[in-house]
Amino acid sequence: MPVIKLTRRDFIKSNAVSAAATTAGMAVPVTVMAQARGGDGVRWDKGVCRYCGTGCGVLVGTKEGRIVATQGDPDCPVNSGLNCVKGYFLAKIQYGKDRLMKPLLRMKDGKFDKNGEFTSISWDQAFDIMAEKVKATLKNPDQGPFGVSMFGSGQWTIWEGYAANKLMKAGFRSNSIDPNARHCMASAVFGFIRTFGADEPMGVYDDIEHADAFALWGSNMAEMHPILWSRITNRRLTAKHVKIHVLSTFGHRSCELADNEIIFNPQSDLAIANYICNYIIQNNAVNKDFVGKHVTFQKGVTDIGYGLRPNHPLEQVAGNNGYPGPDGKPKGNPMASTPISFDEFARFVSEYTLDKAHEISGVPKDRLEALAKIYADPKTKVMSTWTMGMNQHTRGTWINNMLYNIHLLVGKISEPGNSPFSLTGQPSACGTAREVGTFAHRLPADLLVANPQHREVAEKIWKVPAGTISDRVGYHAVLQSRMLKDGKIGFYWTSTTNNMQAGPNVNQEIYPGWRNPKAFVVVSEVYPTVSAMSADLILPCAMWMEKEGAFGNAERRGQFWRQQVKAPGEGRSDLWQYMEFSKRFKTEEVWPAELLDKNPQYRGKTLYDVLYANGQVNMFPKEEAAKVNAHAWAGYTNDETEAFGYYVQKGLFEEYRNFGKGKGKDLGEFDHYHRVRGLRWPVVNGKETLWRYREGYDPYVKPGEGIKFYGKPDGKATVFALPYQDPPEKPDGEYNLWLCTGRVLEHWHTGSMTRRVPELYKSFPDAVIWIHPKDAEKRGIKRNDIVKVATRRGEIELRAETKGRNKMPEGLVFVPFFDEHRLVNKLILDATCPISKETDFKKNACKVWKV
Amino acid sequence: MNISSVIVIPRPDLVEQVVSRLGVLECIEVAAVSPEGKIIVLIETEGDRETVQIYEEISLMDGVMSASMVYHQKEDEPDVELSVEA
Repeated sequence: MPVIKLTRRDFIKSNAVSAAATTAGMAVPVTVMAQARGGDGVRWDKGVCRYCGTGCGVLVGTKEGRIVATQGDPDCPVNSGLNCVKGYFLAKIQYGKDRLMKPLLRMKDGKFDKNGEFTSISWDQAFDIMAEKVKATLKNPDQGPFGVSMFGSGQWTIWEGYAANKLMKAGFRSNSIDPNARHCMASAVFGFIRTFGADEPMGVYDDIEHADAFALWGSNMAEMHPILWSRITNRRLTAKHVKIHVLSTFGHRSCELADNEIIFNPQSDLAIANYICNYIIQNNAVNKDFVGKHVTFQKGVTDIGYGLRPNHPLEQVAGNNGYPGPDGKPKGNPMASTPISFDEFARFVSEYTLDKAHEISGVPKDRLEALAKIYADPKTKVMSTWTMGMNQHTRGTWINNMLYNIHLLVGKISEPGNSPFSLTGQPSACGTAREVGTFAHRLPADLLVANPQHREVAEKIWKVPAGTISDRVGYHAVLQSRMLKDGKIGFYWTSTTNNMQAGPNVNQEIYPGWRNPKAFVVVSEVYPTVSAMSADLILPCAMWMEKEGAFGNAERRGQFWRQQVKAPGEGRSDLWQYMEFSKRFKTEEVWPAELLDKNPQYRGKTLYDVLYANGQVNMFPKEEAAKVNAHAWAGYTNDETEAFGYYVQKGLFEEYRNFGKGKGKDLGEFDHYHRVRGLRWPVVNGKETLWRYREGYDPYVKPGEGIKFYGKPDGKATVFALPYQDPPEKPDGEYNLWLCTGRVLEHWHTGSMTRRVPELYKSFPDAVIWIHPKDAEKRGIKRNDIVKVATRRGEIELRAETKGRNKMPEGLVFVPFFDEHRLVNKLILDATCPISKETDFKKNACKVWKV
Repeated sequence: MNISSVIVIPRPDLVEQVVSRLGVLECIEVAAVSPEGKIIVLIETEGDRETVQIYEEISLMDGVMSASMVYHQKEDEPDVELSVEA
């Protein structure tokens, strides 16, 4: 074999080009073959990115107990080796200088004091006071079990969420566990459940490579799902006929590069969606065969309020907001609807003419028509994608339903390229929060606490007495803040989220709630975020590769990783915390006497005995961890397995699998996930499912059935007749601008991780306010001036930006929420979709002035 | 020294313009362009910070639809000679 002399630089360059060429599917002449990495003492293993719902695979390199490098995983079909700039720096996120190392309790004179200084204590002492506070809350008639509450996360691993859900719902009998996914995906969830009877998309990322047209509704994929955007742009480049339509309330990176840029008045997406249905009907584009066989029609109630406090005038006039009326009974039900015919639906949407849609939305007519045409043309396969623009919306459930209306009228669903695809924001909002059911109304696998048969299923799988799980819906995210403020929550434990920065109406609701002397607030964190600093007790946590983990991404792909390194200081995983804490409670202390009288065999047991050492979770011995992972490295174990003496993660997961088996939500075998680059459920006989509800793709649809939306009893999906309605707050005299909030590419959410990576921090150090040059000029503001922005709830000060990646229309400003020193959520109204209870972070009335 | 490769996808009608704009940037080399217009770019800098700055410049450049990192490697002694089998 000929030998070539070249420098290390040349060799690396050649490898770099070769890797890119392979990913890009290009043939590039290279003079040398890429050398396998190795021989430098680095151990490489597969993992999942810590950030968004795309769920890119990464290879993680560990040396001498430290993560030293990461690479996009070329073998992961999600990203095929690609990384965005946040993924590029994954190796650094665990090593910020101010990593939390010890439990810290506010103390004065040697005792807990809500106004004391943070003092380091032991884990034992931490659990002591936590147990004391939980028990006091349970006994307090003003608070009771629902006063014990948890605010968890779509960034929890699957088993962390599962262990927490059990502890709360079966242990403390509190349904007041809700995830931060309430702030991002709840509207999508309720959209799915209402339309299809089952959560999560029916398509997969593969739809990208089959679509003829893309429509992004309120989603800036170029910055927020960059790798999926790369796949879309790749499709656009390689298939010349493909067009991209982008709908947004302001010009951003994605719509700048679109073929059809649609800037619409906030909230008018509702009118646009109805217009498109009307267009389809008027132009005889309805797929009559599909609709006849697979679709039913309903008209939804409309006086549903805005999720505000019950005494708000807008709630008092709402006849269907479900709040207690003067007689104490719920006022209607925001989810209620009545059956209608197709003709009645056609009449309903007929008022949404092109003229009317143009009037409400402000969008030029030709652009609206161009968008409608892609849905109406039977030969165009359409992939619609959306995230926060549609979900963080006071009519978020409605707009999700209405997007499905469009796809269902033309039968463009559940087949390659035809895909209404709800993009998930967080890495495991699907895999953990939604599928495990860590919501105030849910149980695993789409089961509901309000349904007696569902509770029975859960109680049987969990081996707890009948009647353990409460039948009432617990406090959801925004309600938790209100209940804290009102003294109804005595114990509040939050993890892997930063609600003091991420939640709405911070000054009026969240902050006073946390500081209420009636509440004891515990924050499990890795860095000193504003939430940690507002807590009574801080618990240091293990993060990402410091624990064995599993995430489920937006396309139903569950992906596992092994523990690579240890957490620093006394950091422990959330999983360890929930399990260890459960040892502090005897059933007599948390369950009512009647329950134990009927089931005396549970007396004298701790919650740990009942929930974890229950013969199922603890059924796999320690050695199993090495056996399951032997293909990756010899003698593998993890910290929880060592601490508890059995393979905890496998035990939890295999018990959890029982919920979805045979229900179309089947997960694969635990061992299988550790060997492959993830599996998309339902996994039946080891085989993943790509397109759900269609014969030939979905094993749950029998031969001859064609299409079956089996989440619904009649196998049909539902189209809902729903109108345009104004949001609760619009710009007026004094507060004369729309305020929209969101993210930028460089920072993840509240920046707790990305702002500690020096390169990402420097690339975008502080939040700015994007404003149209004319709006700025009217207010005497020049680019880079310091300005104040205020709503009726609060104000912040920041630099004005009139250029760059975002182009505002007149009348609307945008502020990202990653900057804790410019905490924009102080300004945001805690109005929600009344069905999903998800906050609208996108529409508030504000004013801006020069400082 | 830090070497990274990036896949740049330009707007289909602006391939040539994007290639020329990229060619002007310091510290980068256009390594290959596919027939449809996919561009492989090599970035060679002193360290991560500079790499990210250039990557950002590329991402926000007119006509660039997406830019994704693929491969990156640090090397403290780039000029050392190797003998490698072809």
